[in-house]
Amino acid sequence: MKLVAIVGTNADFSYNRKLLEYMKWHFRTAAEIEVLEVKQLPPFNEDLPYSEQTEVWRFNNKVNTADGVIIATPEYDHSIPAALKSGLEWLSYKHKTMKEKPVMIVGVSYGTQGTSRAQQQLRQMLLSPDLNSDVLPGSEVLIGNAAKTFDKNGFVTDINIVHNLEDSFAAFNKFVKSNMRYLEEGDVNMAQPNISSEAKVQFRTGSLKIKEIQQIFNTLPFEIDFIDATDHFSFYSDKPDREHVRYPNEIGETVEECHPPKALPGVRAILDSFKLGTQDHVERCLPLNGHKVWINYFAVRDENGRYLGTMEFTGNVGHLVNLVKDGKFDGFPDATSGASKHDDDAEATGPAAADTEADATTGASEHDEEKEDKTE
Amino acid sequence: MKIEAIVGSNKKLSYNRKLLQFMKDHFADDEININEVKDFPMFNENYPEGEEAHDPELITELAKRIEAADAVIIGCPEYNHSVPSALKSAIEWLSYRIHPLHGKPVMIVGASIHPQGSSRSQTHLREILDSPGVFAEVFPGNEFFLGTAKKAFTDDGELINQGTVGFLEQCFTGFKKYAEEINDFKKVK
Repeated sequence: MKLVAIVGTNADFSYNRKLLEYMKWHFRTAAEIEVLEVKQLPPFNEDLPYSEQTEVWRFNNKVNTADGVIIATPEYDHSIPAALKSGLEWLSYKHKTMKEKPVMIVGVSYGTQGTSRAQQQLRQMLLSPDLNSDVLPGSEVLIGNAAKTFDKNGFVTDINIVHNLEDSFAAFNKFVKSNMRYLEEGDVNMAQPNISSEAKVQFRTGSLKIKEIQQIFNTLPFEIDFIDATDHFSFYSDKPDREHVRYPNEIGETVEECHPPKALPGVRAILDSFKLGTQDHVERCLPLNGHKVWINYFAVRDENGRYLGTMEFTGNVGHLVNLVKDGKFDGFPDATSGASKHDDDAEATGPAAADTEADATTGASEHDEEKEDKTE
Repeated sequence: MKIEAIVGSNKKLSYNRKLLQFMKDHFADDEININEVKDFPMFNENYPEGEEAHDPELITELAKRIEAADAVIIGCPEYNHSVPSALKSAIEWLSYRIHPLHGKPVMIVGASIHPQGSSRSQTHLREILDSPGVFAEVFPGNEFFLGTAKKAFTDDGELINQGTVGFLEQCFTGFKKYAEEINDFKKVK
């Protein structure tokens, strides 16, 4: 279970931050908790150019891919701090990131109230239509007298508070899991018709069971992502150790939602050119995770040339490069022609791939070469 | 009467700004000065970064104007059933090191594009203004919710519905009386 925990203040020192760090440690076997700050976000403003808000995108993305959210709020003037409110406004602007997201509210204050009024208001905010979260009912964590609550190593010193946290977290754990199960299986009272994994798909060139199709995708030494014709991210192959780490929550996202704002114009340009048919393939080479990563975008079309979507084909080619270096391909009868062809390709498509017009011509020339190959 | 009005939105197009502008023009016998929150930095007790923490100048200027005024009007939008962070941030500045709203008569008005006219947000704002640290004297009752605000104004910024204007006049007259009483009482004290 993957959770994010939002520190509800932008202050340098915060007992609520301490509480989340403590929870991250104490509940480490039950959940992977990542602590998020609202501090680095710009104050919410609809007039800010949204496409430039990389931090907002990152924040949204982290929350979106989590199975649940813990919010630790201080209390400022009987309500939540403006900095936290601003973060929630970003989470409900343009995208409904918090929609049906399980949320646990906790809070620490200097006084005895333990942020009770702020939590009450926060609950109401989270239930508003644009946030629309699933807030854990009951199970309140209201920690007062903050200065006496933690020791110098950040451990909670009062056993009653530890028990309160454990009980509440156990309830939240169950709450998140039932939500995950629901998302996976749907409503059991309204069972959906489905295709069994034994069913076969008949292709022109043979047939495969559904299970086999899945496992072939997962076993390929390259990873595959698919964006459908309506620009929604609809599939990724479940390869272990992917270069691009994806989460099931991202499925169904629009291209806008699943790319950082800065990357979006480039992605748009590729998709538009695929739809128009000016090119069918874009190639990128880049270092990623310390690997030599080779990325290919292919336009997927039906027999009439109609655009069905874009396949992103990504792989670590370090091993391949080493094989070439070690001369494993030397001694093949067509070694020279093969190598020169590869060089040609690299020159034409490599760095110029950013320029879509250049790509368009490359695509065409590649096609010609293929034809020549066939006549040979 | 000298009144400082605060636009609770940092957006370029704000119906709450329009509403306060209308009040300023309509109640021309009183001096209503419109203040913006949009240029204030986000409240942070450690502001500014890398310096000894202190209040931003824009905030201390607003605080002086509030202190010199007889009353305050807040035009409050509604984001996620509550007060926009931009307005909340301003109130946090005005209740941390300095407390210019302490004992100050405050009237809440609000506009929204939905029929409720910021009702939930105004309830939260009342709770916020009622907290120790802010300690404002919030004008009770007289809930002024301007719903479906997109259709509420003429191109010249006049409120179209005369019933709405009448109710706003009634609220404003009541508020002035309330503010006078509060201010007189403070003088006696």
